[in-house]
Amino acid sequence: MAIEAGTAARARIDRLERVWLEHPGVLGWLTTTDHKRIGILYFFTSLFFFAAGGVEALLIRSQLLVPNETLVSPGAFNQLFTMHGLTMIFLFVIPISTGAFGNYLLPLMIGARDMAFPRMNAFSFWAFLCSGIFIYTGLFMGNAPDAGWFNYVPLAGKQFSPGVNIDFYGLGLIFNSVSTTVAAINFIVTIFKLRAPGMSINRMPLFCFAFLAVSFALLFAMPPLNTALVFLELDRLAGFDFFNIGSGGAPLLWQHLFWLFGHPEVYIIILPAFGIATAIIPTFTRRRMVAFPLVALAEILVAFIGFGVWVHHMFAVGLATITMVYFAAASLIIVIPSAIQLFAWITTMVTGTPRFKTPLLWIVGFITFFIVGGLSGISFAVIPFDQQLTDTYFVVAHFHFVIFGAAVFPILGGMYYWFPKVTGRMYHEGVGQLSFWLTFFGTALTFFPMHILGLLGMPRREYTYPDGLGWQVYNVIETAGSYVLAAGLLLVAANLGVSLFRGRFAGNDPWGGDTLEWSTTSPPPPYNYPVIPVVTSPYPMWDLADREEDARRLERGELTLEGGHETLGSSVLDAEPDEVLEMPAESPWPILLALMLAGAFALVLTTHYGSALVFLGLAAVVLGAWHWKEPETA
Amino acid sequence: MSTALTPRRGTLPNGIWAVALVIATEGAFLGCLIASYLFLATRVPEWPPPSVPEPRVLAPVLLSVLLVLTAPLVYAASSFARRGRAHAAWLLVFVAFLLQAEYLGAQIYFFHDDLSQFSPTGSAYASAYFTLLGAHHAHVLAGLLLDVWLLLRLLGGLTPYRATAVRVAAWYWVFVAGMGVLVTLTVISPAL
Amino acid sequence: MSRTKRQWGGVAALAALALPLLAGCENDQQSVLDPVSHPARDIESLWWSMLAGAAVIFLGAVGLLGLAWIRRARKGMPVFGENERVARGFVVVFGILIPIVTLIALFTIGNIFVLPVTQAPAAGSTRLTVEVVGHQWWWEVRYPGTKAVTANEIHIPVSTRVLLVGRSADVIHSFWAPNLNRKIDVIPGRANRILLYSDRVGRFRGQCAEFCGLQHAHMGLYVYVEPRPKFDAWLQRMSKPAAAPSGSEAEQGRDLFTSMPCAGCHTIRGTSAAGRLGPDLTHVASRETLAALTIPNNRGYLASWIADPQHFKPGNRMPALHFEGSELEALAAYLEGLE
Repeated sequence: MAIEAGTAARARIDRLERVWLEHPGVLGWLTTTDHKRIGILYFFTSLFFFAAGGVEALLIRSQLLVPNETLVSPGAFNQLFTMHGLTMIFLFVIPISTGAFGNYLLPLMIGARDMAFPRMNAFSFWAFLCSGIFIYTGLFMGNAPDAGWFNYVPLAGKQFSPGVNIDFYGLGLIFNSVSTTVAAINFIVTIFKLRAPGMSINRMPLFCFAFLAVSFALLFAMPPLNTALVFLELDRLAGFDFFNIGSGGAPLLWQHLFWLFGHPEVYIIILPAFGIATAIIPTFTRRRMVAFPLVALAEILVAFIGFGVWVHHMFAVGLATITMVYFAAASLIIVIPSAIQLFAWITTMVTGTPRFKTPLLWIVGFITFFIVGGLSGISFAVIPFDQQLTDTYFVVAHFHFVIFGAAVFPILGGMYYWFPKVTGRMYHEGVGQLSFWLTFFGTALTFFPMHILGLLGMPRREYTYPDGLGWQVYNVIETAGSYVLAAGLLLVAANLGVSLFRGRFAGNDPWGGDTLEWSTTSPPPPYNYPVIPVVTSPYPMWDLADREEDARRLERGELTLEGGHETLGSSVLDAEPDEVLEMPAESPWPILLALMLAGAFALVLTTHYGSALVFLGLAAVVLGAWHWKEPETA
Repeated sequence: MSTALTPRRGTLPNGIWAVALVIATEGAFLGCLIASYLFLATRVPEWPPPSVPEPRVLAPVLLSVLLVLTAPLVYAASSFARRGRAHAAWLLVFVAFLLQAEYLGAQIYFFHDDLSQFSPTGSAYASAYFTLLGAHHAHVLAGLLLDVWLLLRLLGGLTPYRATAVRVAAWYWVFVAGMGVLVTLTVISPAL
Repeated sequence: MSRTKRQWGGVAALAALALPLLAGCENDQQSVLDPVSHPARDIESLWWSMLAGAAVIFLGAVGLLGLAWIRRARKGMPVFGENERVARGFVVVFGILIPIVTLIALFTIGNIFVLPVTQAPAAGSTRLTVEVVGHQWWWEVRYPGTKAVTANEIHIPVSTRVLLVGRSADVIHSFWAPNLNRKIDVIPGRANRILLYSDRVGRFRGQCAEFCGLQHAHMGLYVYVEPRPKFDAWLQRMSKPAAAPSGSEAEQGRDLFTSMPCAGCHTIRGTSAAGRLGPDLTHVASRETLAALTIPNNRGYLASWIADPQHFKPGNRMPALHFEGSELEALAAYLEGLE
């Protein structure tokens, strides 16, 4: 419901408009600290990388269409599958879910005007962009990383990968992790401290619980990766011996460190999808989520237990039985929180009155594929079975069902769901539904036969395969499926792209949504809300009395904070109003800091260590300039 | 400003939350370095390997103690800053800074000395040893830069923001000193 | 409406795709679903039971989604109507209780009962040992206690417990012959052990299953399971030094081999060629393929391989030494005689 504006309210809104205005044009975008603009920057950048990763996938599938194909060389193929994995994980799915959806929606959902640290938010975007360009420079030079996305040593060490390829991987991912870590810190402080009055922890939307869990997981998952990458680059560039068995090093150290990161990473990938699903389901089923507290707890538990299972990626390595048994048990335990959420969603849909519009269709697809991927995942916790099927197409099937089917489908659904909010226009529903079905069938066709291929013995990561093993027919189906999938995704893009210009105007709340973002205009103004809302339940938009009270407070000028660039800080558990926080306006320092770091990493890659240190020094100077002007509040 | 708010209720400022989270992630990083050191130690029969001298014990322990002693100084500075006592805060940060710089100087001396005796490119032990120490020293250096920044800014007077900044530094130095103890214990452990 | 149709369509498609799975009892497959040993059989049984369970769960859940569609105009559940407590109870039963029971059962069967069968065989429980060393991109095979050395193929006697000891000379590879047993990584600096056993005579295909670089795709091997006398004869032959060249062309070939860089990488026991970088060629003509199952082993392919190894397996470590004409023929003639 729109906030009606009397004369006093109108004056306050005008003041807010003036205070929050940003520079026009490109300069405005380069110096923006507005979480919505940063979200949009993340969105389009991630989509660009999604397209790149998609092209890589289509090339892979085309190469595997027939046995002994020579469309791409073995070296090129190895770069393709490595870059496909790196791109999709680090440059697409994490940035789009945390950087685009998280950034844009979190402050809106909690009733805040921006993130806790707006400039750090901008920096995390520019660092992400620079790290993506850094890694892709390798591809453009023909020297993309080529030892797989998990990059095992000794293959990835200097002896067996003497070129610069792996250094793009090592240094690029360290750079990328700076962006993600900083974003995680921002999310946590925002969710803890900037919630609207009355939004106590148990009244926070489930979307926020998911992002809180993701952020804590990121904070503890990136360090093992960074440790592994630092060791790798020290070995490669400076001759250290972490992984060199001749000098007492251990190749398995890489695997432990990598998977200590890698397993939580997959929960980091899926949790935002859970969050989006839990935002879409109540709106379209027109009822509250069944067992809300259980679902919130399950989201946190998934992130937590996810740190205790990493060895299940190493069951074929020859570890002691007792070690493997422990980790298999932990891997089975983590099924429980996922099952809780699954049945909560399904029960909500059965007991509600669902409208199967495009966003909900994507969630139905998500649930279907999540079950398939989850079931194949459970089978991998049975150690002997894992020891047969790991490193085959069976596991490729598993993770594509959970990453593509279960993490990307809600992202696509979310794109449709929030499209009217972000753009102010509605997409075409018929084309939307078609785009869903096309993508759904494309996904099933592409990835389901991979289960069979794995059982028939086809290992993963091979650039070709022989005739006569019965593998070709499945490869043909998969390649055909991948083209159908691509067509579905292109249709999504076309629908949203055309609707951006030709869609009918959507208004504030075309869906009857439950969370706060639907109370403001579409698109939201730079200051999000003319008055900070006060909430009394996790479904604020369904509490009409509260929203009417917001309008009255706007008239009275309570919590409008229109005196400056301000938002409200509140207490962590009960969200009682605490202080007025002064937010920084546009700033050049975030992009400059990212550029200084990019320079430093590029110079390390080219072994100009002294110059790299100079750039680090410059980065420190930029940090100083950044903190020179201080806000009035603490 | 037209707001109707209750006064500050004593929640932690955003900056303190941020530094707490930085401590969490950096602590995890240093923890991984320590865990890697210990993992590598279990893979070989001799640790350190025969060509490498046993680690010193006395100097690292004494230096650790020194670093630990500077943490209460910065903590006290933070208390004074929150009570508005600018000069006291400044002095305490300054003394802490001097001691911490001395600490780092000594550590760099020993680091150099070690490098002249054995190389990180010669064994996994040496790689782990130098990397673990180097990572901790880098965190100390970052802390020193933070100290210098505070000293400069406090010359311009005390504000709530700057008081929080001193508090951030206090938390950070508690972390670095604590990690220093863990790193020292790890690194001297073969000699114990 | 379309949902039910979709479900049945899906089931039919699944069945059609899955048929070949049930067919595979042929030689030369590399399949988890055609086990020839106790461990492989146990794993296969695990698979079918898990598939059955998964199908039930999947169809049940998708059925519930169908129910949501059918009842989309009505609130509440069938029978219980609008009852939050029952709804929550449903979540607890299907989200916590039933999974716990199912997972405990699965864990017990898979990780308590089957797992010991697939782990390294107990010391002294095997009658023969084979040592395998993974290289980029071929398999070195030795029989300790004998002088037998070969490459890219293992022979074992039928119904005999064989210990396979796997190592690596360079990067991490993984030894995998799915019909016989699970895969085992071979890691530099470690020796890993699994059981090789087959109660059926035949030739089974295996492949490296851990990405190991450019030609990971062409690092296959054969496991030949033979009756005991045939195996003994083979092993004896492999232990002998190389056959003498028959005819002048072959003699010229041998002389070329031992004087050219060939001998720097390859060993032919009984000659001066003692290189250790590439496969032992003492009995190369007895193998069915070359380059780890990349090309058939006949005169034509052999000569083509020698002339340009990069053509069939680009990036592999054998350089093109540009032999041609009579030299090439001589080399091929000599190697062809090394049965």
